[in-house]
Amino acid sequence: MNSYLEIKNITKRFGDFTALHEVSLAVEKGEFVTFLGPSGSGKTTTLMIIAGFEKATSGDVLVQGQSLSGLAPYQRNIGIVFQNYALFPHKTAADNVYFPLQMRGYGRGEGLEKAAEMLDLVGLKGFGDRYPKELSGGQQQRVALARALVFEPSLLLLDEPLGALDKNLREQMQIEIKRIQRRLGVTTVFVTHDQSEAMSMSDRIVVFEQGRIQQAASPLDVYHRPKTRFVAGFVGESNLIPARITDAAAGKADSPVLGNCEVKANGAADGQDVTLLIRPEHIRLSREPVDGRKNARMQVDTIVNYGDNALVMGRVGDLNMRARVLGRDVIILEEGDECCISWLPESVFVIEQ
Amino acid sequence: MNRLMRILGVLVVIFIAAPLVIVVPMSFSDARSLQFPPPGYWLGYYYAFFNDWGWLRPTWNSIIIAAATMVLTMILVVPATFALVRYRFYGKSVADLMMMMPLAVPHIVMAVGYYSFLGDLRLVHTHFGVILAHTCLAVPIAFLVLSANLKGFDRTLERAAQSLGASPVRTFMHVTLPILRPGIMISALFAFIQSFDETVVAIFISGRNAETLPRKMFDSIRQEADPVIAVISTLLFAVVILALVAPAGWKSIRKRLRSKTPPAAILGSQ
Repeated sequence: MNSYLEIKNITKRFGDFTALHEVSLAVEKGEFVTFLGPSGSGKTTTLMIIAGFEKATSGDVLVQGQSLSGLAPYQRNIGIVFQNYALFPHKTAADNVYFPLQMRGYGRGEGLEKAAEMLDLVGLKGFGDRYPKELSGGQQQRVALARALVFEPSLLLLDEPLGALDKNLREQMQIEIKRIQRRLGVTTVFVTHDQSEAMSMSDRIVVFEQGRIQQAASPLDVYHRPKTRFVAGFVGESNLIPARITDAAAGKADSPVLGNCEVKANGAADGQDVTLLIRPEHIRLSREPVDGRKNARMQVDTIVNYGDNALVMGRVGDLNMRARVLGRDVIILEEGDECCISWLPESVFVIEQ
Repeated sequence: MNRLMRILGVLVVIFIAAPLVIVVPMSFSDARSLQFPPPGYWLGYYYAFFNDWGWLRPTWNSIIIAAATMVLTMILVVPATFALVRYRFYGKSVADLMMMMPLAVPHIVMAVGYYSFLGDLRLVHTHFGVILAHTCLAVPIAFLVLSANLKGFDRTLERAAQSLGASPVRTFMHVTLPILRPGIMISALFAFIQSFDETVVAIFISGRNAETLPRKMFDSIRQEADPVIAVISTLLFAVVILALVAPAGWKSIRKRLRSKTPPAAILGSQ
């Protein structure tokens, strides 16, 4: 059974530097997949290889079972929204959207009609005769999206398209892009380094680091069941605690700082060194130890109050810990205090790597 | 401080504009030679200019030579600029230097060189000879203007065009060229002006046959200080002003036309 988009063992070398190591991924039709990772992790390189602007040193990209490797970018029928939108400054919005149709031999009348429909879909009805420089950043973004979609591409690639927008507009565009993508059912690859963007938009997140895929899973899986320390640290806030499994069957681990912990071993073997992940929002603060929870004493260093919630940072032994609690729960504390932090055994996730 | 700068600015403007203030009234003067302020005004020297083949022929020569220089320069400079700005190749820095050389070498030195070199080719005193020499002088200037434009060109636009289905040739025709068009036009304009203005090389090699306007003016001012020179200067100044104002005027006309087109055209009512 072939997937819609298949990336097979792609390796990319720039001289001595290997940007991608044997990257493989399968994407289903209609799926919204996000490539997430820090800059230089290989996510954009992978995107450019799919688009045809970079050539893989080895490996192949297939769409519907057909290899793209022999095709030039203009033969691939892939829509791309670039980081800076790349709208043609000498063409109106309507002519920008008409351009891919023009290249496909559409007449001007029919082409502009289709372009107008697409501009309507992205919420820019009546803006067709404006030039790009007469449009706001968000509007330019929408034109770029309409232009990348109007020719019914086999894939839509988005290269950090929201980076240049301010926070409110960014959130609005996240919802818009998602809506349009669902409506058209186009298979989409979205590249970002913003983990909240990845969480809110994707069907699946592919986490890149140093040219390798660390994990490819649903947003909730990536968040709650990260496969590696890197994923746990990169997606969301985390407390990462080194430990060793003492009894996998009974769910027991030993940590140099926290002592014995109850965990679910997740397939880790007895005696294996692991990392325990506890998300800061799963930690509770109290004056005294709480029954039924694992307790530890924390020296509070810093309290950052956001109003509705607060971030409490401190140390347990020589281990830095952070807890995210409701704003009102932090009133009992002051920086420099010692308090009790506690969590439920099921809040602990064991990372093998 | 601010005030001082402003006064300085005004002084600079006056200093630059002063020759014009003198030349334009002198062209309407009825004095027998160049004289300022003019004792009286008439259009006699304009009449003289337009009725004297001694003046019209060099004018025509200059226009032909400048136009041909412009075309030849652009044929050479457009591909050269793309190569030098976008690609790395063996000997690139040497090529860069050679492009700029005519700017650094004094014109008089170039002129002596052309005189003997073109003499061997029997091209001295011909239009073609002057065109070749002027092209050498225009190339670095056209290259400087165009390369600045090309360096500022966002290549993502070309990638976008290709992702949208445009082959490299169509990308060039539909995206690269139209966006660079103003830069290419300014570059061509500079090539034209470079040739039209050039005096030193023209004095050496243009001879009687291909005599250019600046050469004729130089000869004339040496011999008789004919006020027709002021007429020509004024006319040239008017042409330059027109060339500068025309694009802006054209733009505003187009904008007005565009705003009158109803959005129905965009909705595909053709």
